[in-house]
Amino acid sequence: MIKRPFFGIVKPKLHYERINEAPAEPTVVKPSKKITLYIKHAAEGAQGSLLKSGDPVKNGQKVALTEQADTYLLASRSGRISGISPFVGILGENFTAVTIDIDADASQTMDDYFKSITQTPSLEKARDLLAGLPGKPDFNVFFDPDYPVKTIVVLGADSDLLSTTRQYFVKNNIISIKTGIDFLRKMSGIHDVILIVPQHLAQVAGTSGATVNTVDSEYPSAHPHLIRQHVLSTEASDPGAGVAFFSAEAVSAIGAAFNTGKLPLEKLISFISKDGTRRLVSAPIGTPVQDILNEFNEKLGEGDQLIVGGPLTGISVYTADYPVMPDTDTLIVQSKGQVAERDGAACTNCGGCVRMCPAGIQVNLLVRYLEARQYQEAADQYDLFSCIECGFCSYVCESRIPVFQHIRLAKYTLERMKEAEEKNV
Amino acid sequence: MYSSTLKLTVSHAPFWHDGSSTASKSRNILLASLLAVVPGFYQYGQAAVGVVAVAIASAIIWELLINFISRRPVSVGDGNAAVIGMMLAMMMPATTPWWAVVTGTFFAVVIGKEIFGGIGANPFNPAVLAMTILMLGWAPLFDFNAALLNYSFDFKAIYPLVLSKSFGASAVASFTMMDLLKGHQIGGIGATCGLGLIAAGIYLMIRGFIRWEISISFLLGIFAAALCFKWIDPLYAGPEFHLFTGYTLIGAFFLATEDASSPVNFIPMLIYGFLGGLLTVMIRNIGVHIDGVLYAVLIINLVHPMVDKIRPKAIGKGV
Repeated sequence: MIKRPFFGIVKPKLHYERINEAPAEPTVVKPSKKITLYIKHAAEGAQGSLLKSGDPVKNGQKVALTEQADTYLLASRSGRISGISPFVGILGENFTAVTIDIDADASQTMDDYFKSITQTPSLEKARDLLAGLPGKPDFNVFFDPDYPVKTIVVLGADSDLLSTTRQYFVKNNIISIKTGIDFLRKMSGIHDVILIVPQHLAQVAGTSGATVNTVDSEYPSAHPHLIRQHVLSTEASDPGAGVAFFSAEAVSAIGAAFNTGKLPLEKLISFISKDGTRRLVSAPIGTPVQDILNEFNEKLGEGDQLIVGGPLTGISVYTADYPVMPDTDTLIVQSKGQVAERDGAACTNCGGCVRMCPAGIQVNLLVRYLEARQYQEAADQYDLFSCIECGFCSYVCESRIPVFQHIRLAKYTLERMKEAEEKNV
Repeated sequence: MYSSTLKLTVSHAPFWHDGSSTASKSRNILLASLLAVVPGFYQYGQAAVGVVAVAIASAIIWELLINFISRRPVSVGDGNAAVIGMMLAMMMPATTPWWAVVTGTFFAVVIGKEIFGGIGANPFNPAVLAMTILMLGWAPLFDFNAALLNYSFDFKAIYPLVLSKSFGASAVASFTMMDLLKGHQIGGIGATCGLGLIAAGIYLMIRGFIRWEISISFLLGIFAAALCFKWIDPLYAGPEFHLFTGYTLIGAFFLATEDASSPVNFIPMLIYGFLGGLLTVMIRNIGVHIDGVLYAVLIINLVHPMVDKIRPKAIGKGV
């Protein structure tokens, strides 16, 4: 944990992790008995669910609750569904947890639907099948009639501290990234592809065939909003223009999928254990975190914290049965003593958050509205939706207010209200 | 489906914190203020120690009482009450009777802070508000010339601002800058030792416990305003006199910089501080009061929410 600098007159600076010159091969972890897929779809609302307990699932098969559902995951192992249960996320989001008891490695049955479409790739098919790939590529952005996509940005810089996942792909898999970019170009017809990498990877990134832009190592410069603001050309940074962001891992997975005809469903994770050791892990999507902990003999004790995602933007989970998700770049175990203390004290108006905020929000005023749950006011007058969710405000908060959680909750609540209103019209 | 009964800690992102806290800030402000208060102890002896001790203790007790009455969690641990007590004591003459000190901390902690909702909710600097009430209510107690009559000093024992107010620049010509900096002037317990206050201010600024923009612009405001007055009419004392007398330095480093009642954006901080300095000299030179710092701070506290509206546009808003 990085502490406040002694000379507090300067802003604390946090830097992204820099990948080693010769990164070690990732440790391969296999799920022991089962995999769990958290599908962002309420179990109760899924009328005519496609899934039943006992159904067989093939390796690479699309697992969705309904025919029309746009949220789905891909089974990374074949087996039988042993349980379907609701799961509620940290903001109250509804998930459905689908647990699959997996077949032995020798008897894996492969799903061959993907192979049949590799000859004629299209964005529709990609949206229909590839959104479950590691790195969570989002193809919906191409189908928004209001914001036609003009630029594709491939993020080779990591999204949060401590993670080196995306850098690893730029460094070691630049060829499959190139293939992925070629396929994205072919499918979308968009030729303006920009690869964003940290400075030290600029040279290797040059071989990707995309325009290379660099971002510096200071958090949160690699954030999509800030890249849009500062790195992209003026026409692409225009809020009216659509920009499709893909992580390097996702593009590499798309490339590998089309190259081999097989969906790569291994997620690359930076695993940070209690003593601070950093390791790269490759585990199939759906693998319970417990299997990764077992691999490294990491024991969880009472009061420890298990963080899925980076130290600034991740979520902490209450069970090691939590699975690896397509966007799980980092996995952190903190011992009880390392857990950052939070408090419900009042804002003293010290201004630390305002100075740190990369979006220029008056956080000191915003938080007063959020604490009073006046979310609409916060959005109308105090720039709630300008927030890029970097987590700095909570990181520096002297009163230890969970500002960031207030913001996430407010945004989520307002979005839910908007959805409900649209439904009622 | 969950196999384990192990209880993990679940909290909100971010999972790192820079380790700052209100308590450590208060601790540092208290420590820094000692740089100015200890010379005061040396100058005024036991009486000064008594005033400071009673002020801090009573401020904490008032806050505890309010916590208890309003059934809110005990908040004295954040050190804010102690800081308020210390600030108030620093402005008082060493001879202030105990009941006046206790009344003062009541006005500061209860009227100035707690009835608005506690820390962070006070519209005015609590210590300044209390001191103003005391000075209006019990003026003779806080007339430094009368209050410190029984002390014998090896320097001119007359409150410099009274001299300059009544007799103009020539009367204060004998105060050299070095004397003023060394604290060879009468005044509040922690308000006279210029060197100590400046050292404390520099420490707090570089550690980031106070916002340097406010302090520097406050001093600049004093300097600019005093210079203008002197330039228009040499009868008025010059900037170097106004910078190191009365509550100027304590105002710049401890009073105007109070968190809740000051702005947080860059340009507003500069305006806020400069306005404070300007008003201070105007009140001293053409106002009815002897020292203008208290009223100036109250007025800038009042305008701070308006000044703080001058702010950069957030991402994705406007042009």
